[in-house]
Amino acid sequence: MAGVWIFSERYEQLLELLNAGRRLARSMGTKLSAMSQLDPEKAATLFSHGADAVLVLPPLSENPSLDAFIPVIVAEVRKEDPDVFLLSATLRGRELAARIAARLNTGLCGNCIALEIDRDDGALRMERLVYGGAGLQAVTCSSRPAMASIPPGTFEPAPADGEGKGVVRTLPAPPPSAVQIIERKTKTSRGTDIAEARVVIGVGRGFEKEEDLHLAGELAEALGGEIGCTRPISAELHWLPEEVCIGLSGLQVKPDLYVGLGISGQIQHATGIRSSKWICAVNKDENAPIFAVADFGIVGDLYDVIPKLIAALKN
Amino acid sequence: MPEMIACFKWVIDEAYIRRGPEGELDLSSVNYKISEYDRNAIEEAVRLREAHGGSVIPVTVAAPEAAKGVKDALSRGGDRAFFIADEAFHDLEPSQTAAVLAEVIRSRIPHDLILCGEGSGDLYAQQVGPRLAEHLEIPCISFVQKLSIEQGRLIAERKVEEGLEVVAAPLPALVTVLPDINVPRIPGVKDTLAAAKKPFVTVKRDELSGKYEAHLATLLVRATQMERQCERFGTQPEDVARFLESLRKKGAIGQKGG
Ligand SMILES: Cc1cc2nc3c(=O)[nH]c(=O)nc-3n(C[C@H](O)[C@H](O)[C@H](O)COP(=O)(O)OP(=O)(O)OC[C@H]3O[C@@H](n4cnc5c(N)ncnc54)[C@H](O)[C@@H]3O)c2cc1C
Repeated sequence: MAGVWIFSERYEQLLELLNAGRRLARSMGTKLSAMSQLDPEKAATLFSHGADAVLVLPPLSENPSLDAFIPVIVAEVRKEDPDVFLLSATLRGRELAARIAARLNTGLCGNCIALEIDRDDGALRMERLVYGGAGLQAVTCSSRPAMASIPPGTFEPAPADGEGKGVVRTLPAPPPSAVQIIERKTKTSRGTDIAEARVVIGVGRGFEKEEDLHLAGELAEALGGEIGCTRPISAELHWLPEEVCIGLSGLQVKPDLYVGLGISGQIQHATGIRSSKWICAVNKDENAPIFAVADFGIVGDLYDVIPKLIAALKN
Repeated sequence: MPEMIACFKWVIDEAYIRRGPEGELDLSSVNYKISEYDRNAIEEAVRLREAHGGSVIPVTVAAPEAAKGVKDALSRGGDRAFFIADEAFHDLEPSQTAAVLAEVIRSRIPHDLILCGEGSGDLYAQQVGPRLAEHLEIPCISFVQKLSIEQGRLIAERKVEEGLEVVAAPLPALVTVLPDINVPRIPGVKDTLAAAKKPFVTVKRDELSGKYEAHLATLLVRATQMERQCERFGTQPEDVARFLESLRKKGAIGQKGG
C-alpha cells in the first residue's frame, strides 16, 4: 500500500510527526497513516490534523510495557509496506524504533533533526548530528521502510484544519512483554519551560556545592531568566531536574541571552545553546571551550564575578 | 554466577575535532577513547561481579587500531575480551555493528546479561543495544539508571518521559545504561599492568558468516557552524560594567538590568 507512517505513544508528538509526515506524504504523492496508543475517540481527532488513516494499539491490561507491541507493529508494517516510518524519539520511542528496524532489517536515522524528499531522485534525505554536535550528517536509506526517530519539539504540531473523518482501525492485542513493570514513579514537573525562555542562565560543574546555586538564582532574577544546566548537574549530581538539562541529550534552547556559569562548553552542551542570539560565559579557565562559542566572556571565578554582575545590574 | 558482556566502542574524542576551512570536519589530530557511557556499562558489570561473582567480558567490533581500547577495557576490570576486528569495520552503521556482535555473541560467548552504553560518543544513534537484543531474542531494557540481580531476575530502574519505571526481566537480558548509574573508576598503573596479562580473542571478518550490508548511505558530513564574537573581559568592576554595556548595546538586556 505504501505511504508515510508515524508512531508515538504521546499525543503532542503525534501532532508533531503529523506535521513532518504531512509534508513528506504530499511531496511523495502518498497517504499518511498515524499509529498510536490513544483510545479510539481521541485517536479520531488525528484525522483533522492531517492523518489519512488511523491505527490504534489496544490498551494492555496486565503489563503496560510498550515493547509488547513490537511484534504487532512489525506485522502491520510487513503487511502494508510503507515507504517511510517515523517515530518520535521519546526515550521509549528510541528503543522501539531501533528494535523495529532490527526486525524489519532496515536502516534507521536515529535522532533525525531534518528530513526532505530529494526533488531529483525522490530519495528521503535525513539529517542528524554526529560527534556530539560538532558535525552534521545527511543520510539516505536503501531498504524499506526508511525509518527515522525524531526528537520531541523538532517540528511544530500540525494544526487542526478541516474536519477530517475516517475509520479508526484497532490492531490485535499482543501477548505481554517479558519486561514486567513493577512500579511507576512519576516526576513532578516544575512547570518552567526553558525552551521558550528569553533569558537562560546555565549552571555547570564550576559550582562547588548545591547551596551555591542561589547565586545563579539571583542572577536569573536580576536578568529575568530561567535556570538550565549541564548534564552532570542533573544526571550525576541531581542538583537540578532532568527537564532543564541543555544539550545533545537534553533540550535545545533559543533565548535572546544565554549565560553559562562554570560550564566548560564541551560540544554536547554547546550544541544545545547554538540557537541563542547572544551567548555569554563566566569561567575561570581562559582555555575553556565555552569561550570559543561565546560572544562575551568573563575570564574569572564565578564566586567573584556573579555578585559583581548582580550589583551592577541592580545599580 | 552471572556471565556479563559489556559492549564498548572505540571512538574519536570529539574534543579534538576542528572545523576545516571549507566547513569540513578536520579529524587530522584526533585522539581515541572508549565511548563515555560504555565506561559506565563496563563499570556496572564489574560492580555486579563484585556482588554476585561471575565474569565480565568486554566486546567490541572495530578496526584493528582499536586494540588499545581492548587493553583499556580490560584495565577497567574485564576478565577476558573479544576483539572483533577488521579493516572493513571502519565506520560501520549501528545495524551492522549489532548484527556482527550478535553473530559472535550467539556462537561464542555464553551470557546472562549484556550491558551497553545508552549511546556512543560519535554517532549517538542509540541503536546497537536494542538491535542486538532483537537479534538475540532477549528482553531489552533501555536508559537504565539502577540495576540489580535478585533471585536470578534482573531488576532495573529505567528512565521514561514521565519519570521512572521499575521493571523486572528474566535472564539473559540486555540493558543500556545512563551515565547516572555509576562513576566509572579510573584505571591505575596496577590495573594497566594486570590488563596486559589478561587474555583476549581476536575474531576476523572471514570467520563470520553474515553479509552485514549497510542500509544507510552517507551523503555528506560537515562541521556545524558556530561563529561568535568571542570578546573577553576581566573581573574588575569596570570590566564587568563594560561587559554589561556590550550586552545592552546588543539589546540582549534592557537599559536597566534584564
Ligand atoms: C553522548 C553524550 C551526550 C552528552 N549530552 C550532554 C548534554 O546534553 N548536555 C550537557 O551539558 N552535557 C552532555 N554531555 C556531557 C558533556 O560532554 C560534558 O561532560 C558536560 O557538558 C560538562 O559539564 P560542565 O561544563 O558542567 O562540567 P565540566 O566540564 O567539569 O566544566 C566545569 C567548568 O567550570 C569551570 N570552573 C570551575 N570552577 C570555577 C569557578 N569557581 N568559577 C568559574 N569557572 C569555574 C572549569 O574551568 C570548567 O571549565 C554528553 C556527553 C556525551 C558523551
